Amino acid sequence: MAAMLQPSIILLKEGTDTSQGKPQLISNINACIAVVDVVRTTLGPRGMDKLIHDDKGTTISNDGATIMKLLDVVHPGAKVLVDIAKSQDAEVGDGTTTVVVLAGELLREAKPFVEENVHPQLIIRSFRTAADLAVQKIKEIAVSIEGKSIEEKKSLLEKCASTTLSSKLVGGEKEFFAKMVVEAVTDMGEDRGLKMIGVKKVPGGTMRDSFLVNGVAFKKTFSYAGFEQQPKKFDNPSILLLNIELELKSEKENAEIRLSDPSQYQSIVDAEWNIIYDKLDKCVKSGAKVVLSRLAIGDLATQYFADRDIFCAGRVVEEDLQRVARATGGAVQTSVNNLIPDVLGSCERFEEKQVGNERFNIFTGCPTGETATIVLRGGADQFIDEAERSLHDAIMIVRRALKNSTVVAGGGAIDMEISRYLRQHARTIPGKAQLFINAFAKALEVIPRQLCDNAGFDATDVLNKLRQKHALPSGEGALYGVDINTGGITDTYANFVWEPAVVKINAITAAAEAAALVLSVDETIRNPKSESAQGEAAANAMAGRGRGMGGMMGRGRGRGMRRR
Amino acid sequence: MALAFDEYGRPFIILREQEQKTRAKGLEAQKANIMAAKSVARILRTSLGPKGMDKMLQSGDGDVTISNDGATILEQMEVENQIGKLMVELSRSQDYEIGDGTTGVVVTAGALLEQAEILLERGIHPIRVAEGYEQAARIAVDHLSKISHSFEFSSTNIQPLVQTCMTTLSSKIVNRCKALLAEIAVKAVLAVADLERKDVNLDLIKVEGKVGGKLEDTELVYGIVVDKDMSHPQMPKRIEDAKIAILTCPFEPPKPKTKHKIDIDSTEKFEALREAEKKYFDEMVQKCKDVGATLVICQWGFDDEANHLLMHRGLPAVRWVGGVELELIAIATGGRIVPRFQELTPEKLGRAGIVREKSFGTTKDRMLYIEQCANSRAVTIFIRGASKMMVEETKRSIHDALCVARNLIRDNSIVYGGGSAEIACSIAVEAAADRIPGVEQYAVRAFADALDGVPMALAENSGLQPIDTLTAVKAQQIKEKNPHLGIDCNDVKTNDMKEQNVFETLIGKKQQILLATQVVKMILKIDDVITPSQYI
Repeated sequence: MAAMLQPSIILLKEGTDTSQGKPQLISNINACIAVVDVVRTTLGPRGMDKLIHDDKGTTISNDGATIMKLLDVVHPGAKVLVDIAKSQDAEVGDGTTTVVVLAGELLREAKPFVEENVHPQLIIRSFRTAADLAVQKIKEIAVSIEGKSIEEKKSLLEKCASTTLSSKLVGGEKEFFAKMVVEAVTDMGEDRGLKMIGVKKVPGGTMRDSFLVNGVAFKKTFSYAGFEQQPKKFDNPSILLLNIELELKSEKENAEIRLSDPSQYQSIVDAEWNIIYDKLDKCVKSGAKVVLSRLAIGDLATQYFADRDIFCAGRVVEEDLQRVARATGGAVQTSVNNLIPDVLGSCERFEEKQVGNERFNIFTGCPTGETATIVLRGGADQFIDEAERSLHDAIMIVRRALKNSTVVAGGGAIDMEISRYLRQHARTIPGKAQLFINAFAKALEVIPRQLCDNAGFDATDVLNKLRQKHALPSGEGALYGVDINTGGITDTYANFVWEPAVVKINAITAAAEAAALVLSVDETIRNPKSESAQGEAAANAMAGRGRGMGGMMGRGRGRGMRRR
Repeated sequence: MALAFDEYGRPFIILREQEQKTRAKGLEAQKANIMAAKSVARILRTSLGPKGMDKMLQSGDGDVTISNDGATILEQMEVENQIGKLMVELSRSQDYEIGDGTTGVVVTAGALLEQAEILLERGIHPIRVAEGYEQAARIAVDHLSKISHSFEFSSTNIQPLVQTCMTTLSSKIVNRCKALLAEIAVKAVLAVADLERKDVNLDLIKVEGKVGGKLEDTELVYGIVVDKDMSHPQMPKRIEDAKIAILTCPFEPPKPKTKHKIDIDSTEKFEALREAEKKYFDEMVQKCKDVGATLVICQWGFDDEANHLLMHRGLPAVRWVGGVELELIAIATGGRIVPRFQELTPEKLGRAGIVREKSFGTTKDRMLYIEQCANSRAVTIFIRGASKMMVEETKRSIHDALCVARNLIRDNSIVYGGGSAEIACSIAVEAAADRIPGVEQYAVRAFADALDGVPMALAENSGLQPIDTLTAVKAQQIKEKNPHLGIDCNDVKTNDMKEQNVFETLIGKKQQILLATQVVKMILKIDDVITPSQYI
């Protein structure tokens, strides 16, 4: 592209899109800022939701990572932001919007410097220093909740969970859900695998009808005739978990039996029946009262069990079966031979219950207590989906807070405090780095500013109040953040707007790294082939635009704008 | 959708197929969403109440549905707009949870959004509106509990239950026979209810319909009605003290599931095979006879030979009975489902006082009644009606009534209908609004106004002056401190719903308010809609 006027040396395959230099850098920054603009309004308790409609259906979400994923970003520079949102989600589960907004703001602050020909590496180095300082400062001022009694700890964790939930659709019932989440997480043993908390969704009912089962619950599976005659309630049942089919079927796929004597016919029929009867008999003899299988339990077996007052459910989803195994202390069997009592699970109570329009199998009072199931209710599918995502965030936060039990004040308080600290620090530095660290400090203020903007308050006004508070030499204002209810400022720590320190640390490091990554790129080479891999539609759209661009190219004078 | 431009006005391509997506943002998105939801609500508005009108819906393949049931109408409308779909789901979840009030919940949500729009125009932040609504909803629900009544009922005194079901049915096309249908619904629910556990399994109530006859012929059968007839026309049409063998295996020679092949190379072998087959049939029938069965009900078909043999041996049989029905029969008759002839024992037979085949009118249709069963925990409501649409709508109405009866068994609290509960809540919320500081006060007040939407629609649908009527009733409620006053839709000349016996379930009403608020919050919270353009 750069060689429009003079003959050029062709280095790369024709159609390869290269662009380089400062303009490329600026363009990448612009793209990132554009993406950030999509998610920035979701930040905070007054943040809005996005409705994204795609082939897979409609999603309404407030979760930064979910939105970024669904936006389907193809711009290579902007993709970095998607990745940090995802990594924040995987690492701490919450603060996905924060990290994206922060990264965007860092880039925005860096842009004027780049335009003024500062070498990007200098900016990067300063940003890294600033991020390190920020992390140190957070660690320094974070408050530990270690060493408190269980009760105290629980109430502290609830505060963290409700801060997370306050920005979500379920915010209205945040105390209710925070309690539920903390209960679910703390009830489990040391090894808190996320999988061990099941979330089941049942449309209908209101949020408040959601409930927590200290054990396992799953939807009634497909059943055959005879199922209704089985008992639906047991106290202290033994539970048998299987991974085999209890169905009359051919034993080997490709086997064929040839008979020459019709009188032998009956023996084959009997043989087959005997196999299944034998299996069923063994299940019954094991003493189990509830039989669950990952594979089908046929009509014959259903009726056989019904006759013997045993409850059975076939085609139980793998995850649920694993959870039942963990909760009841049973082991999933792949054969019915040697069913010793050790492999049977047990629980205090099993019941089939009506929840909304569905019937649920519920196991409670499990001996190991390692699992919990949250049954979510709500008015619409999208609503419950969003509630599930929100709870996931909250669960992650609580788990994190349990492991790293330090918290910081939320509502932008911690961000303001770090910002103040960095500014102060910058003054001690001679040279350009002072400017960049100041820029970093300024970028951090975006969190309280965005909180205010989203709530419809005068951001400048609130920010100035906050700056004044934080600048007090006594340090008493360090915990002040945005008061989302009145549009003023308040001591957010005292008002229990808490975030686990690890969320903030991760957000700042990730954002600084993402910014550094974008800033360090000065050339993009895009192979034409990889573009066509995007599919026919994209290729066509590009071709159409390619022509239109021709005219503009003159004006652009090869400023290195990437064509796509 | 153009997300961003560079200095030269050229768009960035950031998203995949960006050009083909549309995006609505901010207030514009909210207004569009509210508009969509409101138009859905407007469609249902006229269906509300005893004088509400029905909607006729034609599906893609020409089937016509006429209904007054909110959930059904929305389901069949196939709403495309995503926000519209939310309203559909709102109605559906009311249907799942409560079964009744599916129209009311959508009308309430529509009214709430209408009020919200005004507030948004004033520049109030949508989330503050939503939060105000949540506060107000809590006040309203508390107030509902305060004005609710609980009543006593027992299996002998079912009158209160019947009256509540009648309120539900009065808005349906079947209101001519509401007393009869309500009684049927209540009796059916009581028959299957577990009063101790307060649990009702509606699966045990079978609702069967047949075109022909009149609505008044609808009956409750303590037993099962199956749309099947005897397998052979010469079999007896009436069996008393039937002992029923319930089979899930066909009257056929058993087949191994493994692939098999019988080599027949001589006449003797063929003869032997034929003999064996014959013997199978013989044994099967004999086995049924031996255990004392007087009727065979089978999930599968019979060979003609078996059929013939059964007839000859005087063993009536029914074939091709569906799995669910089979199960119901088993529960009702106390029998066990038998998967194999060898398993048949006398204890596994079901018992029914009378099994009869009934034919209808001049048509050849016949149905099998299994009555006076050993265990009456399964019942059938058999609906007659002049047309298919009528029967279908009656089924839906009965379903609503069944759900109401079930809810009452779970929780026997009621509030008074005819919009009286809404008016009372509106007054309570209005009064509470003045004590709430901040912008939310406006939202709470708007909520109170929105609650008036339901009685207003009721009055309008009944041909009354909506505003005059509503204000009169509201004034009267405050003056007399009587929360039972509602809209007199049926022109009975009294506004007191207690006297009119118009009841609704408390949980149903609570659910309506909470669900509507929830969905409204969801809609208000969206400020960005990104759609691929092929969906517009």
